[in-house]
Amino acid sequence: MSSPLRSPIPSSAGADQLRAGSDVRLSVEQVSYAYSPNPSQAPLFTLEALSFQAKPAEIVAILGPNACGKSTLLKLISGELQPMSGRIFLNGFETHALPAKTRAQRIAMVQQESRLLFPSRAWEFVLQGRHPYGRGMRFENSDDVLIAENALAQTGASHLSDRWMDKISGGEKQRIILARALAQQPLLLLLDEPTLHLDIGAQVDLLASLKRLAAENRYTVVVVTHELNLVGEYADQVVLLQKGKCLRVGPPATVYQRELLEQVFQAPLSVEMTPSGRPRVTLFSKT
Amino acid sequence: MLGKISHNSRQGRFVPRFRCKSGPRAILLVLALLFFFAEKVTAQADAANATAAPTNTHEVVDEVGRTVRVPLVPTRIVSLAPNLTETVYALGLQDRLVGDTDYCDYPPEAQKKPKVGGAINPNLEQIAALRPDLVLVTKDLNRLDTVRALDTLGIPSYSTDAAHTIDGIISSTERLAGILGAAQAGKVVGDDLHHRLTTLQERLRSVPATHVLFVVWTQPLISAGKNTFIADALRKAGAISIVDSTQDWPQMSLEEVVHLQPDYLVFAADQTGAGTRAFEALVSLPGWQLLDAVRNRHYAVISDAVNRPAPRIVSAIEDLAHQLHPASFQDLPSPGKEIVPTNSTNPARPHAALFPPPDSLSGTCGMESSCAL
Amino acid sequence: MRPLTLERLLLRCGLLALILFGVVVVSLKMGAVQVSLYGLGRDLIHVLLGRSSAISTDYGMIVLNIRLPRILLGIVVGASLSVAGASFQALLRNPLADPYVLGISSGAALGAIVALIVESHMAISPEMAGLITPFGAFIGAAVTIAAVYLLGMRDGQIESSTLLLGGIISASFLSAVIMFLMTTLSGSNLRGTAFWLMGDLSTPQPKTLLYLLGIGFLLAAGAIYTTSSDLNLLLAGEKEAMHLGVEVRRVRIVVYIAASILTGLAVSVSGAIGYVGLLVPHVMRLIFGSDHRMLIPASALGGAIALVIADTLARTVVAPSDLPVGAMTAMAGAPLFIYLLRRRIA
Repeated sequence: MSSPLRSPIPSSAGADQLRAGSDVRLSVEQVSYAYSPNPSQAPLFTLEALSFQAKPAEIVAILGPNACGKSTLLKLISGELQPMSGRIFLNGFETHALPAKTRAQRIAMVQQESRLLFPSRAWEFVLQGRHPYGRGMRFENSDDVLIAENALAQTGASHLSDRWMDKISGGEKQRIILARALAQQPLLLLLDEPTLHLDIGAQVDLLASLKRLAAENRYTVVVVTHELNLVGEYADQVVLLQKGKCLRVGPPATVYQRELLEQVFQAPLSVEMTPSGRPRVTLFSKT
Repeated sequence: MLGKISHNSRQGRFVPRFRCKSGPRAILLVLALLFFFAEKVTAQADAANATAAPTNTHEVVDEVGRTVRVPLVPTRIVSLAPNLTETVYALGLQDRLVGDTDYCDYPPEAQKKPKVGGAINPNLEQIAALRPDLVLVTKDLNRLDTVRALDTLGIPSYSTDAAHTIDGIISSTERLAGILGAAQAGKVVGDDLHHRLTTLQERLRSVPATHVLFVVWTQPLISAGKNTFIADALRKAGAISIVDSTQDWPQMSLEEVVHLQPDYLVFAADQTGAGTRAFEALVSLPGWQLLDAVRNRHYAVISDAVNRPAPRIVSAIEDLAHQLHPASFQDLPSPGKEIVPTNSTNPARPHAALFPPPDSLSGTCGMESSCAL
Repeated sequence: MRPLTLERLLLRCGLLALILFGVVVVSLKMGAVQVSLYGLGRDLIHVLLGRSSAISTDYGMIVLNIRLPRILLGIVVGASLSVAGASFQALLRNPLADPYVLGISSGAALGAIVALIVESHMAISPEMAGLITPFGAFIGAAVTIAAVYLLGMRDGQIESSTLLLGGIISASFLSAVIMFLMTTLSGSNLRGTAFWLMGDLSTPQPKTLLYLLGIGFLLAAGAIYTTSSDLNLLLAGEKEAMHLGVEVRRVRIVVYIAASILTGLAVSVSGAIGYVGLLVPHVMRLIFGSDHRMLIPASALGGAIALVIADTLARTVVAPSDLPVGAMTAMAGAPLFIYLLRRRIA
């Protein structure tokens, strides 16, 4: 899909800082987390120390079965939670230490859906993405409008601009939410199980868009999911988790080993390599 | 900042698109003008208030302890309570009354005076439009807010205290007469009332007091507490209320009343037959037949003057005494006053004449206009 | 795509202000007593220009001393309640929220009753007299606010649903205490309370109080207005707002306190006038949308207009009696609420 309005949305944080000669943007170093509802109780859940790195224009998938700590890891990266140990760097800055507005200029979280209390139009919703760039009392200027329109075009949702958010379908809403995240001009795009409510066609559309957007705008995309084949097809890196432990990090071809996957997902399967070098997983029924 | 649009979208400074030079400055200017205007206007209003000439006024302390500056002889009086209106008429000063409340219905001429609304929510504008030089209020009925509002408007107000005894009512009337510049009339009225009460006491001296229940409301059953002026009125009429509560309007349970078995029930009514209707309604309620007074139809109906702390209450007291102790008054022919034996089933009981002719029990009235007692 | 601009904001607010001005002029004319506004206006101008030193119009005093302060009080109270209502609706993410949802009005009522009781047993100087009841009401409101906040805290964070529950419970408890007090109070204290509880603007307030109200309103509403962009984002959810750079915790505290102050100030002088804080924000939202940068000032002006109209009706409909304005807002507000419900707004 191309339209004359589409143009790359440059990141606001300026050029990526180079660290020691590498072009690493996101660096997760020995990060662990523990959660206990009661200070005196033993932690209910732990995420053991794990590390990985991500580059610009790269899609990283955090993969694993339910309750393995995927969402927690994402929250740590987004700065919502503070790691118990270890640090997370984005272009050399610790994400948790950033003030909320600056963090929102660099990291954009794409929700699954958005429950609005009072209905609003799609363009209003996308314009919210410009909020991190203002001070308390501000009105959007022409640049903001341009960036928001651009974001809508990039997600192929320009035609939805004037529609009410509560009157569009789930897939269309997903695009608007993504457009809002793009309007933030982030370095890092985070998605938590974005394919949950989408049908297969929409799922493929989404991942393909993410790949394209990552390439065009040089985003680093981190997706939390348990969709094996989507990950295999689109991800550049996979972080495989099981019960809070990181079992492997690497490109899909190296991570998708049959025994490993069977152990993690507790289901019989087989792994093949497609001609393009991407693994494909086939599930069997348990007999 | 004004009139410039910054292209720095990264920081998104506050950039009004309004190119015109006004905007925030205009708002400030308008606000300043408003404040200036408001100051001028309110200063003007204050000045108007302060121009009242204090030459023929004096400071008095009213019955609730407020120090107020009132005219020596008020000529434009507004009364905010029915009992105060009655008192003004009783003192013969009704020509100076320029306004009263919707509920001031006695004497009937009072209904023709200009109205200012209710006692609890009078209309301040109406009061102000009448240009009174004194407003009469009572702690029994009016709100403190109303008094304060009058203060703010610079209208003097005099408040009587809540009445608790008949003697208190009489002395309050005399004091009010003094404030209104009619001390002589007040003395006459007060002396007359005292005289009538003393006469009544003499007649009832040897008679035991009747136990009564004064019925304010039937469902729920509400009576008057022992510290109210109604209880005092009952005492002066040779009755004693069975209610021992210190609350003003205690709710009684039927059990208590049956236990105490009053000799008579007393109703206050403003219309002919209303009291009887109340009694008949009571008779039909379950449980009330347990009362001797109900079975024997021992009930008395007096005028609702007993509810108002005004001179007329003494007439109601006399009326009640006549009904409860007819034997003590046998030797007195009272023309114009019909005594109906209360253990008959005669429903149509004519309303007792509450204006005994001047030459009966009461003394002479000293004022030129009609004797409203 | 037409985002809100300062120009459009000022234009719309100017229009509302114009309507308010018109309502005020009409309201000044109406009342139990006939007043010639033209004559009064002419005299006022003469005074301003220094040509004469006193107002000669017969009923000028009535208009200036009785009607105008009452109208001004209505403006400030209406604006305060509406802004507080809009703020609570945004923060608690509940379209049914009104300024009293956290029990503030019950606390203020209790404070006012206690003040009335205390006042009747003490000798008060005239200057202080008018201030005791509002002061007591405000203290009652403040104590309730603090108590409900403490109830609503969890892990050091204010949680909306817990706060709401805490407010409802407090309101019920305080109402029970008030009912108990009212059955044991003697008559004279009781009367004033009943009127106050219904919501009533008819009592002229001391000038210092009016100024205090006005300044308090400007400060508190101004504080809320600075967070209006954040409130827009909060409508979508707290997590989302946080990810978009809103400092949720700071915004929450500022808005809760400011909105509570607005409610406390309004309630302490006028009692619990209902429906204004609930409905005016919804109506303004229908007209102008839910962008709080427009909604907050629109609610303020709309609330002022609504309350002045209601109060004017209250003092003219059954002249010369004065209806409490709370009765009027309830009579008009309930049908309007039903209408809005059917449109699936609330």
